[in-house]
Amino acid sequence: MSAYAHPIDRPIDRPIDRPIDRIVFGDNQFFGINHMSQDKAQERAERFASLDNVMAVYDHAIEAGIEAIMLNSNDRARSICDAFRADPARYGHLRWYPSIPYPHKYAAMVNDKGMVGAVQEILFNKGAKSALGKMVRGASAVATLDAVKLMKMLIDEEMAIYDGLDVRCVFLQNIITDLMLGYDVPDPFVAYCEYIRERYGAWPGLITQNLPFLRAKLREWGVEGVVICASINKIGYLMSPGVAEYEADLAANDGAAYPVMAMSTLASGAVPPVEAYDYINRLNIQSIVFGASSPGNIRQTVSLINAAPKAQEAAE
Amino acid sequence: MSEPLKLAIIGAGRMGITHYSIANAHSHAAIAAVADPSLLITTMLGKYAKIATYKDYKGLLKNEALDGVLVCTPPAFNPEILQAVLERRIATFCEKPYVLDAAAGARFAKEFDAAGIVNQVGYVNRWNDMFTKAKALVDDGLLGAPLRFRSEMFSPTIIRDAGEAGWRAAHANGGGAVFEMASHAIDLIAYFFGAPSRVGGTSLSKVYSKQVEDIVSTSLFYDTGAHAGLSGTMYVNWSDASFRKPTNKFEVFGQAGKLLVDQHGMKVHLAQPSERHGLKEGWNQFYITDVASNVPFYVRGIEYTAQLYDFIDAVRAQKAGRTKPVRCTFADAAANLKVIEQLFADDAAQRTKGRDQGVAA
Repeated sequence: MSAYAHPIDRPIDRPIDRPIDRIVFGDNQFFGINHMSQDKAQERAERFASLDNVMAVYDHAIEAGIEAIMLNSNDRARSICDAFRADPARYGHLRWYPSIPYPHKYAAMVNDKGMVGAVQEILFNKGAKSALGKMVRGASAVATLDAVKLMKMLIDEEMAIYDGLDVRCVFLQNIITDLMLGYDVPDPFVAYCEYIRERYGAWPGLITQNLPFLRAKLREWGVEGVVICASINKIGYLMSPGVAEYEADLAANDGAAYPVMAMSTLASGAVPPVEAYDYINRLNIQSIVFGASSPGNIRQTVSLINAAPKAQEAAE
Repeated sequence: MSEPLKLAIIGAGRMGITHYSIANAHSHAAIAAVADPSLLITTMLGKYAKIATYKDYKGLLKNEALDGVLVCTPPAFNPEILQAVLERRIATFCEKPYVLDAAAGARFAKEFDAAGIVNQVGYVNRWNDMFTKAKALVDDGLLGAPLRFRSEMFSPTIIRDAGEAGWRAAHANGGGAVFEMASHAIDLIAYFFGAPSRVGGTSLSKVYSKQVEDIVSTSLFYDTGAHAGLSGTMYVNWSDASFRKPTNKFEVFGQAGKLLVDQHGMKVHLAQPSERHGLKEGWNQFYITDVASNVPFYVRGIEYTAQLYDFIDAVRAQKAGRTKPVRCTFADAAANLKVIEQLFADDAAQRTKGRDQGVAA
C-alpha cells in the first residue's frame, strides 16, 4: 500500500485546456540510463545516488528557464517529489509531467512469483481493507473483474507520490502503451484518457516508439486530446517504422488534438545538439523533453530550442 | 491481398503477452486464440480482445484452424504440446530453451524438418543489431582465425530469497540459471561458431536458490570442424544486482584483433587498419545508433519484433510455395540443449572427483 493517502473526492479545479510546455526537463540522466555507454551510466548512477546532487541539477535547470519536469515513477521519484513539495516558494510554480507505471516494481514481482503469482499479489494480497482487496474478494471476482476499474486504482496508487504538485500531463510509459497498442483494443486507451482528464485535470499522455501507428489507431478510435511523446531524431533511432514515416505523420498532425513531445532528440548522443535541434525545430512538434546534467549543456539545449523558429512560423 | 495468418498463443505469460502484441500488429497476421490455465488472463482476453480462449492447448488445437502457434509455456510442458502441434503440421515458434532434454529436442527438430513445418526458437540475441554486426565482422575474417571467446551474461533476476514458488525453482520445470540464462550465452557462442565439441571445468553455484544454480561457469572446446582448436569460457550470473537488466557480453580474440560486444555497443581493437571495413589500427567504437535497424512495430526491443516477423515471413513464404530459412531452428536449440546436458554432467563429475580426492587425502 502507498504510504500516501490520496484524497479521492478532491474537486477538479484545474482546466485541461492549458497548453503543454515547449520545454520539459527529463530525468534519464539521474538513473544510470545511457544507451551508449554502460560505464557512463554507472558513473552517473553513483553521482546521483545523492538527492542533493539531483536537486542541484534541477536548480541549474530552473535557473536556465525550465518550468516543467517529466519524472518516471521509480524508487527515486518519491524522494524527489518530497524535496520539491518541501519548498513551495521556490518550486511551487513548476508543472509536472509524470510517467507511470514503475515497470520495475511489477517486473520484480514477476521474477519472484511468476506471472500468475504477480497478478495475484497485485489483486489479492493488498490487504483485506484496500480498495483492490475489496473489489476482487468473492468467488465470482475474476469472472466479473472490471479491468477498467482496476486500472484506475493502479493509476491512483502510482500517482499518490505526485500529490500536491501541479500535474499537467500524465504519461503512460512506452512499454505499456506499445504492448497494449499491439492488442488493437480501444477500451484501455479510452478509459485511461478519460480518467486522467477527469480525475487529475491533466492531459493524458502516451509515450510510444510507434508514433504513426499510435496516432492512426487513436484517430480510428476517436480518441483526441492526447499528448504523444516519442523518440524523434534526425537518424531515426527508435522511430518505428522509420524517419520518413514520422516526418510525413508529423507534417499532417493537428498539434491541438495530439500535441507531440519529442524525446531522444540527440539519439543517445549520436547527433550533436546544434544539428539535432536544427532538425527538431523544423518539424511540427509542440514540445521537447531533454535530459542533461551539466549547467552548460542545460543552458545550451534551452537556448537551441528557443532560438530556432517554431515550425508554424517557419512554414509561413 | 492475402488473408492474414491466423496465429495462436499457447502460454500467455510474460513472453506470451509480448509476442501477442508484436504478432498481432503485423499487417499480415492476427492472433486468433490463446490457451492459458489462468482464468484471469483468459477472461480478460476474451472480454477485451474478443478472441477465443482455452484453458489448455488441446482445446485450442482441436477447435482452431491455425497457420502458426507461438509456444510460450514453461519448457517442461513443451514435449506434449510440440507432439500435438507436429501431428497437426502447424508452423511453430517456440520460446527458448524449447524443451529440456537434448534427445527429445533433436527428435522434434528432425520430425518438424522432415514434415516441412516451419520451426523457430526464440533465442532473441540472434536478431540484435549489435550481435549481428559483430558476427558479420568475425565471419568476414576481421580478427583473423578466432582463437578464444568469452560469453558472459548478467541479470538481476534472483536477487533475494523468493522462496520456492513458481516454475523457476526446479530444474524439472526448466528453472535455474543454466536453462533460463546460460542458454542465451550458449546460443550466442553457437550463433558465432556453431556447437562446441565439449565442455570442461564447469562450476554451478547457488546464491539464493535452494534447488537450482544461480551462477554458472565453464570452458568450451572445438575439437573438429571449421573452428577446430577454438576454445572459450562462459560465465553467467542471474543474481547480480549491479545490472539493471539482462546483459550479454561477448568477446572474441584472434591474431588480427579483438572484439568486445554487448546489446548496446561494440569495441574492436585491430593490429592493422582494415580499409575494407573502414576501421583504424587500435580501438574502434560502434554505438547502437551506428547499426540500429528499424522494425515496423516496436514493443520490447527491435530484436523481439525482428525475430517474430522473420517467423511470420517464413510461414507466409511457405504458404506461397516458397522457402524462407529462419535464423534459429529447433535443431539449433537442440544443439544448445546438448551443451546444457554436458554442463550438468561435467559439474556432477567435477563434484564427484572433488569428493573422491578429499576422501583419498
